[in-house]
Amino acid sequence: MDITTLPVAWANYISMGGFFLLGVIVWLIPRRLIYAGAPDDAIWRDIRIWATVLIAMQVILYALFD
Amino acid sequence: MKFQLLHTLDLTIIIAYLIVITAVGVYLGGRVKNAHDFFLAGRSLTWWIIGLSIIGTNIGANSYVGAAGNAFSIGIAQANFEWIGAIPAMIIAALIFIPLYWKAGVYSIPEYMGLRYNQSVRVVAALITSIVAVFAIGVALWALALTLESYLGWPIWVGIIVTGTIVGLYSIAGGLAAVAFTDSLQVCIMFIGGLIIVGLGLSETGGLDGFAMTLTSENPNHLQAYLPADHDGYPWPGVILGLGIVLSPAYWCAGQAILQRSLGARTQWDASAGMMFAAFAKTFVPLLIVFPGLLALVMHAEIQYPDKALPWVIKNVLPPGISGLMFIAIIAALQSTIDSGINSTSLLVTRDIRHVLYKNANPENDLKIGRYLTLILLLLAMCVAPVVAEMGGIFTFIQTVLSLFQGPMLALLLLGAFTRSVTPTAGLWTLISGVAVASVILAIGTNMLYVAFASFIYSLAALWLISQFTENDPDKDLDKLTYSPWRRG
Repeated sequence: MDITTLPVAWANYISMGGFFLLGVIVWLIPRRLIYAGAPDDAIWRDIRIWATVLIAMQVILYALFD
Repeated sequence: MKFQLLHTLDLTIIIAYLIVITAVGVYLGGRVKNAHDFFLAGRSLTWWIIGLSIIGTNIGANSYVGAAGNAFSIGIAQANFEWIGAIPAMIIAALIFIPLYWKAGVYSIPEYMGLRYNQSVRVVAALITSIVAVFAIGVALWALALTLESYLGWPIWVGIIVTGTIVGLYSIAGGLAAVAFTDSLQVCIMFIGGLIIVGLGLSETGGLDGFAMTLTSENPNHLQAYLPADHDGYPWPGVILGLGIVLSPAYWCAGQAILQRSLGARTQWDASAGMMFAAFAKTFVPLLIVFPGLLALVMHAEIQYPDKALPWVIKNVLPPGISGLMFIAIIAALQSTIDSGINSTSLLVTRDIRHVLYKNANPENDLKIGRYLTLILLLLAMCVAPVVAEMGGIFTFIQTVLSLFQGPMLALLLLGAFTRSVTPTAGLWTLISGVAVASVILAIGTNMLYVAFASFIYSLAALWLISQFTENDPDKDLDKLTYSPWRRG
């Protein structure tokens, strides 16, 4: 399949799909690795949550500028 | 435009800024006792300093000077360099590569490559990175001198010498700690200046709705994130494949200047959180560097060429005092790129090249050598600056050079980090042949985004194939050098 023949809007869909996939990968990483070196195990230190918020923001941006 | 932009208040603010930056850097220099302090800030950096410093290093010559102009021409699609062309790779760097480098206990990415492959790969990677860095610092110095010429009327050579002296003072004295701290201050100034432009710009153009309506009525595609597949500069398949899959991960997961502050973190968590914090800031960077280009368009700026969009906005939108602050923001963006570049390149030459090529090199001399090298690299970049300027557009030049070797570097990094089967010999030959293949593909006139993707695919295949016929090193501690999150210990 020649992707250059797809409409431009597909670029947005592909981007959003990629971000969803990344969101899944982020949550496959074990918690003990996320907290390595952290001074405590407060929930705000779980940077998988930070990543999820970031990903949501990106999905919104690519949905907005379609 | 010379001399017209700046009011006395502006000049006062600029001089105060330069004094503060230099003083802070020199003060922090008193804390530097050894090479560990100089190159890794004594592993003392906190996550928010790291995050701000990463953004300061990232926003440079190819941002303030070029991005506003590009946005004037192509619209919001320019923001892809900050979104799809940065955020996914930053998340992966934070969660996977930074923990890997920490576990390996390295000072630099070439050092990791040396452990994973061999010392030849380490030297070649360090050499390529250093040469590109000298050119990139030269570009930044030139862009800064151009800015000073436009706003203050200084001759180019005066701008280069003054900038080199100020950056040199705090970088040579304070090392990474001074660089990271001044970067953080510079990023705060950038965001304040940028947000003021957004506020004033929107109020002059009838708010967000009025702005968007005017923009899209005259330029219907300027609020579309992607450009058509047949676009000359940024076709969407090229942006996704070349920028999103190759150039961006290579930059964020293997860029020494970017990752050095992560390796100088006080804990592994600070290192990862710092990169994630930088990704949040990065999401908003288009407000600083893309919005002014769009604003100039909406306000029907009469400019000769797109790169004049930002100076036009500063001159026509900002009041005295604030234009000085914005001017500082531009200086700050360029300075933070230069200081990070010379500090990280000095590290590469001191440790990754000198230690390997001169087996008798005494590590106790690293601090002295590092400081001398910082000075030499700065002088070299000052000499290179005028030459680089004659080689074409600033933004295009850096991206083109990067596209040649980032594909092979990323392939080595990915297969090295995620598999245990790739061999040292395969790594070296893939790196060398990958750059050669990329150069050939570029020479036949291929878009640089496709060059990056094609050389990456070639390098993945070559690395895997050559590894089938060459021996692996049985002494390597692959548990420490590969990423395997589900293995305990």
